[in-house]
Amino acid sequence: MSEKITFTVNGTPRTVEIEGGEKLIFILREKLGLTGTKRGCDDASCGACVVVIDGKATKSCTFPAKKLAGKEVVTIEGVSEGTNLHPIQTALIEAGAVQCGYCMPGIVMELYALFNRDPKASDEEIRDALELHLCRCTGYEAIWEGALKARDYLAAK
Amino acid sequence: MTLKYIGKDITRPDATGKITGRVQFLDDIKLPGLLHAAILRPDCAHGRILSIDTAEAEKLPGVVKVVTGKGCEMVYGDNIRDLTPIAVDKVNFIGQPVVGVIAETLAEAKAAVKKIKVEYEPLPVYTDARDALKKDAVLIHENSGEFWHLPGIEPIGGTNIANRYTVKKGDVEKGFAEADEILEGEFNYPFGSCSAIEPHGSIAWFHEDKTIEVWSSSICPFIIREEVARVYGLPICDVRVHIPELGGCFGYKSDITVEQTIAYLASQVPGRPVKWVATRKEDFLSTLIGHGIRTRIKIGAKKDGTLTALKTEILHSTGASADTGVHVLIASTHNSTGTYEFPNCFLDGYSVYTNTPPVGAFRGYGHQESHLAMERMIDILARKLKLDPFDLREKNYLGPGKVTALGETLHTTNGNVRKCVEIVRRAVFSAPKAKAEDENYYYGRGFAALMKSPKGAPFSSKSCYLKFNRDGSVCINMGGAEVGQGLRNVVRMVAAEALKIAPERIRVYTEIDTQFSPWEWQTIGSMFTTQGGRAVVRAAEKAIAELKKTAGIVLRTEVDRLDYDGDYVFVKSDPTIRVPVPELGRGYTFDDGVTVGDVVHTTADARLPIQSNPDENGQGRMGITYTFGAQACEVRIEKKTGKVIIDHFASSFDVGRVINPVQIRGQVAGGVMMGVGAALHEELKFDAEGKALNPMFRRYRFPTIKDAPGRQTIEFVETPGEIGPFGARGIGEHPVVGVAPAVLNAVYDAIGIDFYEIPLSPEKILEALEKK
Repeated sequence: MSEKITFTVNGTPRTVEIEGGEKLIFILREKLGLTGTKRGCDDASCGACVVVIDGKATKSCTFPAKKLAGKEVVTIEGVSEGTNLHPIQTALIEAGAVQCGYCMPGIVMELYALFNRDPKASDEEIRDALELHLCRCTGYEAIWEGALKARDYLAAK
Repeated sequence: MTLKYIGKDITRPDATGKITGRVQFLDDIKLPGLLHAAILRPDCAHGRILSIDTAEAEKLPGVVKVVTGKGCEMVYGDNIRDLTPIAVDKVNFIGQPVVGVIAETLAEAKAAVKKIKVEYEPLPVYTDARDALKKDAVLIHENSGEFWHLPGIEPIGGTNIANRYTVKKGDVEKGFAEADEILEGEFNYPFGSCSAIEPHGSIAWFHEDKTIEVWSSSICPFIIREEVARVYGLPICDVRVHIPELGGCFGYKSDITVEQTIAYLASQVPGRPVKWVATRKEDFLSTLIGHGIRTRIKIGAKKDGTLTALKTEILHSTGASADTGVHVLIASTHNSTGTYEFPNCFLDGYSVYTNTPPVGAFRGYGHQESHLAMERMIDILARKLKLDPFDLREKNYLGPGKVTALGETLHTTNGNVRKCVEIVRRAVFSAPKAKAEDENYYYGRGFAALMKSPKGAPFSSKSCYLKFNRDGSVCINMGGAEVGQGLRNVVRMVAAEALKIAPERIRVYTEIDTQFSPWEWQTIGSMFTTQGGRAVVRAAEKAIAELKKTAGIVLRTEVDRLDYDGDYVFVKSDPTIRVPVPELGRGYTFDDGVTVGDVVHTTADARLPIQSNPDENGQGRMGITYTFGAQACEVRIEKKTGKVIIDHFASSFDVGRVINPVQIRGQVAGGVMMGVGAALHEELKFDAEGKALNPMFRRYRFPTIKDAPGRQTIEFVETPGEIGPFGARGIGEHPVVGVAPAVLNAVYDAIGIDFYEIPLSPEKILEALEKK
């Protein structure tokens, strides 16, 4: 059975029709055309699909669409402003963290939620957050450095 | 040579598009009338198909077509044509396509797949080459030995041997007779998965005008184009292949695999595009897997450490088809000497059909498997001979004037292994080990030297199209697949240097489209920087010559009196007599409108320097550009758990020339992590029935940030090569090659136990410690 729900995506209220067991990733990618959110695995283990829901980093591949009503969702498309990148994005690029880029939207969103909650998050908190994301290209070194750099940038803001 | 751009940390051109999620990967593509496919895979890894019942599936809403392999006579393959797009009357591995459902939505296609019933008559299952080679083993391909194949491939009909490749150098028995010590060992590098985070996928569209259009997350658009055209009887020009952004590759998106399956499905619904993207399980089992190589090794040496003879037997569980794995075996076999000169070799490799997913390219391409054997054996040999392992190696390194197993003489331009060794030795072994153990840990240090030679093909080439715009900026188009390794930036930086133009004024291609992109064989073997960069330099030189030709007309002088600095073409003896480059790009127009000269756009290609098929001894020019390196590590083994923790990993490679320091460090850091994954965590496991036990990330044990080495030392030697741009050699695969032996050598140093196979799980270490 389909139902209509309204939630906010990147600051704009959207109403979509959803069916049974649909997940948020499907709504974003197939119904709203927000393809920046990526699917990498089928067992909620890679983190490529992470978006921010009400301030919390959340795997959109397991989040039921029917629980979306009234929520505020931020996706990778809502992080930069026009051609101005978010400091997290700038820091990751400068550290050389972008190789194939497929895991990047999820990692940006993870750090976005973390630093919005606590711009001075500890090294350990950053490492715990990044542990939820798989990257096959970088060996994590540049991602780690990018995350630390992002924290510096946000502190200087 | 003073270089202006090469060697600088210039940000890659694709970073912004990727970090904003704006670039388009295969699954992001929407097309008008797009249909979706889901595929039924067997629940039996080897069996005859007795019946397929699709009646219920066909009745479901949204289902457009249900496709089986009945009557399909198509065979394909680039090296050995032993692949079919869909199972015909028999299944040979657990990930094989049996029935495809095409529907209006993916959910509808998946729902219909669940309603299909297939009956099989099970056949004996072999998941290991050793079993498939037994005398009474049934043939996985009943017509084995009869498939079309490239020259140089030697199937043995009536057996499960898809190819035997043997290298003979000198007289191996004489070599062993001269030896004072002979050592034997057997090593195993089990199946693994490249596991890019982007799953493989493809879209195929059979158009009404009889042309075919394909999109794929592949690194081989031109091979797909040629093979699809061949099987559908079309001229190659009537097949168009697009490659969107790629979310990692590491090998398994090479060759032609799933594309033929999706094309076969799409051929049944002409006029509408059909999309399929692998589930993670399908990505593990229905594309290509890696490794599956057992190496039996016998080494002879004199008391002083001089190596006299090497015999290796390499058994490759190549999987249900050998097309994609046959060259992995060949590379593993002729590189099983590692970095050492053996005067006498007998290297014997077997590609064996097994009931497992086909093995294909995996970053390292056969090298890490045989290096695990050789670099462990050298350490064990040094112990036997009571020699320092560095001294033993030093005595036998390949280098200028030395001859490889293939009979190729090496030159200074192939790089210097000793310099790499010194770097990692200094980083890891400069001081005596601080302690052997404490309350919680054992401590160890290990080393491995390495050599990598890409496996090419005689006809391999990369091409470049370069055009000057009317403002003097430049566009470059090539067929090299950007998988994340950063080749677009390499192209841009090499072009900037060659054209003396700032990189910001050079725009490099994004997607590949065979309709517009210049031809390239495939982007494999760590060859793009070398070969693609060479093509860029050649195209740039042609463009400069073109600019000078037009300027010569304008300035009414001979071309050889002119020089070029990126901004102007000018007279060497009087640089004030000059023409700005932007005025020459479309030919030069005089004040009266008369225009002279041609549009400045050039093409160039770069073949491999010389390559040949193997001769009767398995030798030939097959090594192309040898690259040397060394790796070492410091580990800690937790006494309570058996867990190996890598505190420090050091790597050094003689890359000829560092193009971009940030990017090359990223390549090495990522490659080392991949090697660590293989050494300590990753194994794709199959049970006796050929069913996969862990085709998902949670159970495959993909390394996370918490598995990363505590720190990495990464340094380069720059002995210029003779082929690549500004002396550069490739680096993509090399960082994985020495990791497993370095880690296992360190584990021996820590606990005095020799391990011969990976992954080295904590359980295995605890068990071995208990037995000790």
